[in-house]
Amino acid sequence: MPEILVQYEAEIWISIGETFTMVGVAILAAILLGLPVGTLLFLCRKGQILENRFVFSILNLFVNVIRSFPFLLLVVFLIPFTRLIIGTAIGTAAATVPLSIIAIAHYSRLVEQSLLDVPKGVLEAAVSMGASVKEVILKFLYVEARSGLILGLTTSIISFISYSTIMGVVGGGGIGDFAIRYGYQQFKTDLMIYMIIIMVILVQLIQFIGTTVSRISDKR
Amino acid sequence: MINLHNVSKNFSQYQAIKSISLSIKKGEIHGIIGASGAGKSTLLRLMNLLEIPDDGEVEVNGQKLTSLSTKELRQARKSIGMIFQHFNLVANKTVYDNVVVSLELAKFPKKVRRSRVMECLRFVGLESFIEKYPAQLSGGQKQRVAIARALANNPQVLLCDEPTSSLDPNTTAEILDVLENISRSFGVTIIIVSHEMEVIKSICNRVTVMADGEIYDTILIEPKRIQNIDNSPKYFVEQLTKDGVLDDA
Repeated sequence: MPEILVQYEAEIWISIGETFTMVGVAILAAILLGLPVGTLLFLCRKGQILENRFVFSILNLFVNVIRSFPFLLLVVFLIPFTRLIIGTAIGTAAATVPLSIIAIAHYSRLVEQSLLDVPKGVLEAAVSMGASVKEVILKFLYVEARSGLILGLTTSIISFISYSTIMGVVGGGGIGDFAIRYGYQQFKTDLMIYMIIIMVILVQLIQFIGTTVSRISDKR
Repeated sequence: MINLHNVSKNFSQYQAIKSISLSIKKGEIHGIIGASGAGKSTLLRLMNLLEIPDDGEVEVNGQKLTSLSTKELRQARKSIGMIFQHFNLVANKTVYDNVVVSLELAKFPKKVRRSRVMECLRFVGLESFIEKYPAQLSGGQKQRVAIARALANNPQVLLCDEPTSSLDPNTTAEILDVLENISRSFGVTIIIVSHEMEVIKSICNRVTVMADGEIYDTILIEPKRIQNIDNSPKYFVEQLTKDGVLDDA
């Protein structure tokens, strides 16, 4: 192993841990909140079983507004909110708040798009069999859209990793922050390149897993 | 069995169904025929309230669907089976899972679900296909699975929306055989929407002819099966060349 990696091994592991924490919380937020929001966006559309212009407009506005922020500005803008929830605006825990907000907005849009690919007739058949809204979602919608939902989550996770690299501004740490502070600002270009390589491997791995699981789950 | 009373349905400005009254008796195989846009599919979809009428009453199995709560309507729909032109199977579920889902929705006792699914698949001749996915089946087989799914819950009524319109003539005849068999074996009331005269003539004993959102006429007929459908390449060539062929020189 190159000497410089050995020299900074402890710091590198810590920064990898920070990245995993931030991205992990963002993934949880995406699944626990982004999935329901995206499902509602879909079901509240015109002609769908929960058609509701008001709810659709509100959620649509939320997703668009959050996604139109340059992420760095969103992090700064959310500082009062973060302080309210976590008690501080600085550190890895605090960094998970803006990441979770963008995670919900990001994944919900991809969920909505995957659900739009489900043939309308399948949902119609479900309704004709007397399925409730919950049954339509769990027994038909998610089953038919599962490969798209998995691919969407994969894309989202990779974006979260990218977003997490700027969390140094609020002391969130992570691999990106480490690369900037030690690699770029202290002129250790080789260290910076090693960090980039770690990120590339991580993203490749996630994309490979996502694509494989999605393909296996797709019987269409 | 099914009574529509002054039912109307509008889509924005367009009047799809103009105050129709229609009565369908138990055990009938009732055809609805008409040109595209005549309102025949809409009329069928009003019978399980997939389309909510703007006016009038819909009564099925002695229940006034138009005055039920959402929950009661879901319950009522469980005894009204429906099949579609494009089958509408869940592509990510196996044949078995596609059929069993209708029993799950109906809270059918767990212990007897498997035997009921197998019984229905045997009825449509697909009991050896349980592990297959819809993508591995032909059009006719997909429609058989859809029929098994609609049948599983012992419906009183089976609504068929252009059930053979994406199938070839031989497969059409097979599906019509299955439907006729259902009518004969279980006394299920069947309503078939089709734009194909042959289909209607071969299976229905009463036919409603629709035009411009209204009933033009309702007539009793004697069903006559389509005989000897020839699908051989020899027959195709014969038909194509019987008036002579163009010289390609």
